[in-house]
Amino acid sequence: MRSFRCRFALLLGTLILLALRPAAANDEVTLRVAYNTLPISLDIHEQLSIGVLQLAHLTFDPLVRWNRHLTFEPRLATSWERPDATTMRFHLRHGVVFHSGNPFTAQDVAWTVKRLKRSPDFKAIFDPITRVDVIDDYTVDLHTRHPYPLLLNLATYIFPMDSRFYSGETEDGRDKAAIVKNGNSFASRHLSGTGPFTVEQIHPGTRIDLERFPDYWDHDSPGNVDHLTLTPIGENATRVAALLSGDVDFISPVPANALERVRRAEGVKLLTMPGTRITMLQLNQQRVPAFRDPRVRRAMAYAVDQDAIATRLLKGFVTPAAQMSPEGYAGHNPDLVPRHDLEKARQLMADAGYSQGFEVTLMAPNNRYVNDAQMAQVALAVSAMLAKINIKVDFQTLPNSQYWEQFDARAADIMMIGWYSDTNDSANFFEYLTFCPDSRTGVGFYNASEYCNPEVDSLVELANGETDPERRAGMLKRAEAMVYDDAPFIPLYWQNLAWAAADRVDIEPVLNVMNMPYLGDVVVEPRD
Amino acid sequence: MLTFLLKRFIQALMVVVAISVVGFLLQGALGDPIQQLLGASASDAERAALREAMGLNDPLWRQYLHFACSALQLDFGDSTFFHQPTLSILARYLPATAELIFASAVLTLLLSFPIGIYAAIRPTAALSRFFMGVSVLGISIPVFLTAIGLIQFFSIGVSVTLFPDATPWGHWLNDLLSTRGGMPAYGRGNPEHVIGVWYTNFASWKGLSYIALPALSLASVMLPLFVRLIRAEMVEILASDYVRFARAKGLTPARIYTVHALKNALLPVITLGGMQFGSLLAYTLLTETVFQWPGLGLMFLDAVERADMPLITTCLMVAGFFFVVINTLIDLTYRLLNPRIALQMEPR
Amino acid sequence: MMLSARTWRQQVRNSRLWYRLRRDRVAQCALLLVVVLVGAALLAPWLAPSNPYDLAQINLLDSELPPFWVAGSVSAHPLGTDVQGRDLLSIIVYGARVSLAIGFGAVLLQAFVGISLGLLAGYRGGRVDALLMRLADIQLSFSTLMMAILVSALVKAAFGGAFYGNYGVIVLIFIIGLSEWPQYARTVRASVLGEKRKEYVEAARVLGFSGPRIVLRHILPNALSSSLVISTLQIGNAIMAEAALSFLGLGMPETEPSLGSLIKAGFDYLQSGAWWITLLPGLYLVGLIVSMNLLGDWLRDTLNPRFYDAIASNAAGSRQRRRR
Repeated sequence: MRSFRCRFALLLGTLILLALRPAAANDEVTLRVAYNTLPISLDIHEQLSIGVLQLAHLTFDPLVRWNRHLTFEPRLATSWERPDATTMRFHLRHGVVFHSGNPFTAQDVAWTVKRLKRSPDFKAIFDPITRVDVIDDYTVDLHTRHPYPLLLNLATYIFPMDSRFYSGETEDGRDKAAIVKNGNSFASRHLSGTGPFTVEQIHPGTRIDLERFPDYWDHDSPGNVDHLTLTPIGENATRVAALLSGDVDFISPVPANALERVRRAEGVKLLTMPGTRITMLQLNQQRVPAFRDPRVRRAMAYAVDQDAIATRLLKGFVTPAAQMSPEGYAGHNPDLVPRHDLEKARQLMADAGYSQGFEVTLMAPNNRYVNDAQMAQVALAVSAMLAKINIKVDFQTLPNSQYWEQFDARAADIMMIGWYSDTNDSANFFEYLTFCPDSRTGVGFYNASEYCNPEVDSLVELANGETDPERRAGMLKRAEAMVYDDAPFIPLYWQNLAWAAADRVDIEPVLNVMNMPYLGDVVVEPRD
Repeated sequence: MLTFLLKRFIQALMVVVAISVVGFLLQGALGDPIQQLLGASASDAERAALREAMGLNDPLWRQYLHFACSALQLDFGDSTFFHQPTLSILARYLPATAELIFASAVLTLLLSFPIGIYAAIRPTAALSRFFMGVSVLGISIPVFLTAIGLIQFFSIGVSVTLFPDATPWGHWLNDLLSTRGGMPAYGRGNPEHVIGVWYTNFASWKGLSYIALPALSLASVMLPLFVRLIRAEMVEILASDYVRFARAKGLTPARIYTVHALKNALLPVITLGGMQFGSLLAYTLLTETVFQWPGLGLMFLDAVERADMPLITTCLMVAGFFFVVINTLIDLTYRLLNPRIALQMEPR
Repeated sequence: MMLSARTWRQQVRNSRLWYRLRRDRVAQCALLLVVVLVGAALLAPWLAPSNPYDLAQINLLDSELPPFWVAGSVSAHPLGTDVQGRDLLSIIVYGARVSLAIGFGAVLLQAFVGISLGLLAGYRGGRVDALLMRLADIQLSFSTLMMAILVSALVKAAFGGAFYGNYGVIVLIFIIGLSEWPQYARTVRASVLGEKRKEYVEAARVLGFSGPRIVLRHILPNALSSSLVISTLQIGNAIMAEAALSFLGLGMPETEPSLGSLIKAGFDYLQSGAWWITLLPGLYLVGLIVSMNLLGDWLRDTLNPRFYDAIASNAAGSRQRRRR
């Protein structure tokens, strides 16, 4: 019975396959993409995550976007200027239509910014913006509370939504504009943007089918993909295998231990870029008295060998770090390099009166998906390095679902954290990771070092009011140097980004350090 | 018989209820779903609002009653990760696991009967000693090691340089022992769509190449078990009086083995095999982990990692339900087959 | 009652076990392997070139050195090193200690629980028996490994990694021990039921001995031999269960790895060519389990001659046929 049913199914499957095959015309280009996760919802304001932003770049357009050199490229805004210190005026592109057919105007920008200020995930970022004024159909002013140097950085997050499409009520009387976390809101199931692709179908958690938008405004875009499918493949090895076997054409990320295999494989190419996400160990000064002595903290910074971790353990998949700002960021200070020196570390420990060492606890997150084993391995390697200056580390790794609770409770003496600057700017690192913690304003919320240096804080705050890029960069570099000397945490590395694609996909021009491939512009050689 | 079934039904219900209570009570301990849903940047007010909306502030027994009532209507709640009914998620991952088990079952049955019968008929022959030795080895090698070995040999490849490569025989031996690799080792590839949520690996050579290594390693644990089982049954039956009588009557050995012995050995083997269902699931889980086979086992471990309690509880309850059903069926066949055994199984 | 050394030796020589052992090559090899592998684990602190738990001795720059027969090896690390630069030989024998400790501990626990409950069920009978045996049935039908996986997944999720880091060995002993007691309980219950009807128990009861005394002094010793056979087989099972749990990441942590967690850690690096990190501990594990299973099988066949006789008579049957 069972084998009969199976045979029947086989027959049926073959028939369906045969029926489907001729449907795909030869001159149409299909690109199949596998990421590690896919957004569950189509509402780009529901959650602030890399997956959502990747989707937003396919189905919407921002006012401006980052190019490969971390400078701004006009998209729906064609030009911009500062009429005064607290205002930025954007001139918008003419002749742009949404997927619904509605024309794009300044009204949509104003509506979108207001919606962003309501979104739980985005409102903190958009807090500096106080008012949006529509000047005419194609001109809009953004006002900030104080002089704010990062307004263009914010504009990369403004993906104008189709205000008419998202206004009104659904048949069952719900507000179409509502942002509902993990609920079945209108916006989570329907989408109308200006982007290069329209959403054909979404199977939450398994697949999103996109089609080229025929009325896309950007006629200069070289992109030639007609059908785009996104699938999530969470398991690293499976994702790599899917690319190597030709089941998908483009994958991201490529796990560290598969880099060699992908590099050697025929028919596919590997592309890497130093990333911007800093991983560090925060030394809690409230919990451990010894950590209040800067000599001890510096000794630990000298004891850890970032280069060995990067080359040996993580196979060159990370860039060793000695500061928070990666290259390209305003605050990146080229003088600050890893300072592994065991003798010096021992000397500093002796000077501080801790040559006998002490015992501390360490916690690290451990996600099955993002290089899961490596986190535990990194923690173990760091423990071994600290053991050489007689600091005994009792470490444990926790799944992500439990880690952040422990982190909020500052449950261990040393906490591992990975941080990505939402604004692609150095100040963000300081505000969240080193500012004196203040529960009222939320600054220093992720400062599990409990480090507090008002001098650094005021320098960064000064930089945040400075609209001259040169002077601002100088301040941030100085702040990095101060933190380097104080060593409230041990920076470990910036995670590199790695993508891999079939040879016929010309993926390199559309990649960037934000890990948001602009697939609307990608050129794919059609199959013969 | 009816009382037996009724008793069994009540027991099944108790098992499922017990599992649901355990799963439910652990809900609080397994990480915070609110934290998972909202991420670290959410404010306390937002957390409180969602907590209230999800009914997490009600007294525990009330939450449980609510849960049990919907469970009776086959509504086990929505996964906190997928935002879909948990049963539909189970259904989505079921085909992958079912196909893996099916493929290895076919392998197991095709091989275990000839080997088991042979080993029973000729217990002292060199070949059956070899088979039994291998089967001890097979039982003793953890399935994940077999799987890793298969990956090393058939996916990564092994180049042996044990013998002098300059000599022709050494070169030949090295070549013989080396493997090229290249078999897919991870995932299901791109299985063909059949119907609904069912995608199959059996419709193309490529699909089959993906299922080959996982099925082989799963079969490597089931095969020795069945070979030993079949041999043991056959040995017992061949020593029984009626087989001796049949021999004395002058029936051909072939007829004795196939008609008289095998027929009688078959049902105990199937029922005893059915009892291995639980182990089979455990081995499947391990196999799926090594090969990243996107089935129920991998999904379950992911759910544990994400503290997706509704999904975990549903998995446990469905598994528990199936165990009880299968065991009841086994007991029933036992009773039908052999009333003597049924009597023995009664505790009094 | 004291036996002098000589008579003791003589007893061993004359025993059925010794007789069978001397004639069975496979059993001899298995025994030798068990002695070597367990011995290496027990003597780990003296045998191992370095102490893998002493983090100060580890150097990350020594990582992934191959074993001695592969080019690029270093004589200080005969079996190479793992990804952290720990000496693989040392960490394997230390890991085997952890595996064995959990295996023996779990078997002791399950034997204690299983024998106690089996005696209780068999002697008391009635409702207690029905309840316990139903419980055993249900637990057995879940399969011990599945049970252990489910429980440890829940325990790990509920108590967090910290708990495992500190009490990993004990937690695993409890999980594996408590999930396998029915094996013992069933066998012991069966032999109690068998003994209960025998005259000596009746006689004891007539003489006025108390229930517990009869059970402990008269029935228990008779049930022990079957328990011993189960134990040899169960140790292999318990070690395998521990390895499986650790492989799934539900067992011993990275700092105090068992054989299973070594295999898991190495598996992540299999694709980068360092096969020895996962396959060498795997080989040790297989050797340990195979030899213990062989020994257990042999012991069962020797102590339970019915099965053996069945084979023998059948072999005789086929010989007869051949003659004809």
